[in-house]
Amino acid sequence: IPPRTERMAVDQDWSSVYPTAAAFKPSAVPLPIRMGYPVKRGVPPPKEGNLELVKIPNFLHLTPPAIKKHCAALKDFCTEWPSALDSDEKCEQHFPIEIETVDYVSAGTSIRNPKARVVTLKVKLSNLNLDDHARKKLIKLVGERYCEDTDILTITTDRCPLRRQNYDYSIHLLTVLYHESWKTEMWESEKTEEDMEEYIWENSCSQKNALDTLLRIKASENVSNVTEEELLASEVVKNYRNSVIALKNEGETEDNMSQYKESVKKLLNIQ
Amino acid sequence: MLEGWRVVGVAGPQDFPAVPVFAVFTLGGSAFPVNYASRITQKQCFLASFNLVGARLAGSHVDTQEPKTNPLVSISDEPETLYKRVSLLVKGHDKAVLDSYEYFAVLAAKELGISVEAVRRPPKDIERFTLLKSVHIYKKHRVQYEMRTHYICLELKYLTSSTAAVYLEYVQRNLPEGVAMEVKKTKIEKIPEHIQEPVWDTLPPVKETEVKS
Repeated sequence: IPPRTERMAVDQDWSSVYPTAAAFKPSAVPLPIRMGYPVKRGVPPPKEGNLELVKIPNFLHLTPPAIKKHCAALKDFCTEWPSALDSDEKCEQHFPIEIETVDYVSAGTSIRNPKARVVTLKVKLSNLNLDDHARKKLIKLVGERYCEDTDILTITTDRCPLRRQNYDYSIHLLTVLYHESWKTEMWESEKTEEDMEEYIWENSCSQKNALDTLLRIKASENVSNVTEEELLASEVVKNYRNSVIALKNEGETEDNMSQYKESVKKLLNIQ
Repeated sequence: MLEGWRVVGVAGPQDFPAVPVFAVFTLGGSAFPVNYASRITQKQCFLASFNLVGARLAGSHVDTQEPKTNPLVSISDEPETLYKRVSLLVKGHDKAVLDSYEYFAVLAAKELGISVEAVRRPPKDIERFTLLKSVHIYKKHRVQYEMRTHYICLELKYLTSSTAAVYLEYVQRNLPEGVAMEVKKTKIEKIPEHIQEPVWDTLPPVKETEVKS
């Protein structure tokens, strides 16, 4: 009997010929394809009895009209994304915590993949309710897991055998870090200048030296005793303080150096 | 077209012609027939207490969720989890298969109303190794095999958990033989209640115990 291809109409419903993934049947596919390595001075072999066409995975069951039919049937099961959250910033504002999980699909002797239990939690510290001391303590506690440029704390948990347990553990870690950073221990008062993250001018050598110098200048000019508070509140000292803080915290730039120069000149009354 | 044959050179003296050598393939079994809409699926309702600026969104969402005639859809009260980004990395040995699969996945996403952020094609990895050609002695005559892995990365944005479940199931059921996939989901959540305020203010004062060092 002639193959089915000769009885097929041009406008038939292809999704009824190949409704699901099936092997390539040369008698059911009306395309004149050839595949394989050609013999000398010949053409690739035709589709009848061609093993190469059978071996390769085909997508004959997933033609565009078939995909559209499937999606139309599946559309009822989908829900819409809330229209109020249309940008990343809004998502960040309302839902600050991001949790990344990975699923693996592959063919093999086992469907399990041990990498599937890793959970990564990312949160921006600016969204957490932290005060100054708590924030610095949290950053110190967490160490490498905090990125300064993007202000994101990343916690990757791997130690539990199940993904849900790892997720719970990461939330637990975040809770513990948060609460511990709000606590102030007794030994924290022994924080020295080397431990400070940023330069603070009050009670530093720079302040002492500046005040000392100014007092001595005033004493040599025999002006009536000016108190330290007045000196601190004066314009020149404030300028000097700002320029020193800028230099130490932001590094040495052209602007910072020139600002420092101006403030020193004004402080010591040099021209 | 030579699909699936990789002619690789042979180490050793060049006086005899190069023998074609096959790359190693993994071809899994054929897929079994599937009827997508034949199971009753749970669709999750949106958050009842979803405090957002567009609060009327919750109301309008409940209206549109009433399925008109589909008896297979049932709505549950669990709040939906939101996925900010779902990244599909598909790995395979044959680029043509991956290209067709990418066309299928992108069309399916468009039909289901999922926004595709980007389709990247990371460069392929080739793993080569050289083995002895003969069972016994003949150290100078080797044969070389290679395994090529091509990648395609699809990034989808802003999926709800129902939509993600539907799309991923559809796409994974139609994964061709010999192709693997990794799905990375980024879920977004609110800050849990126990992190909103530090707990030390509310706890009763506890005596500090001496730490023995």
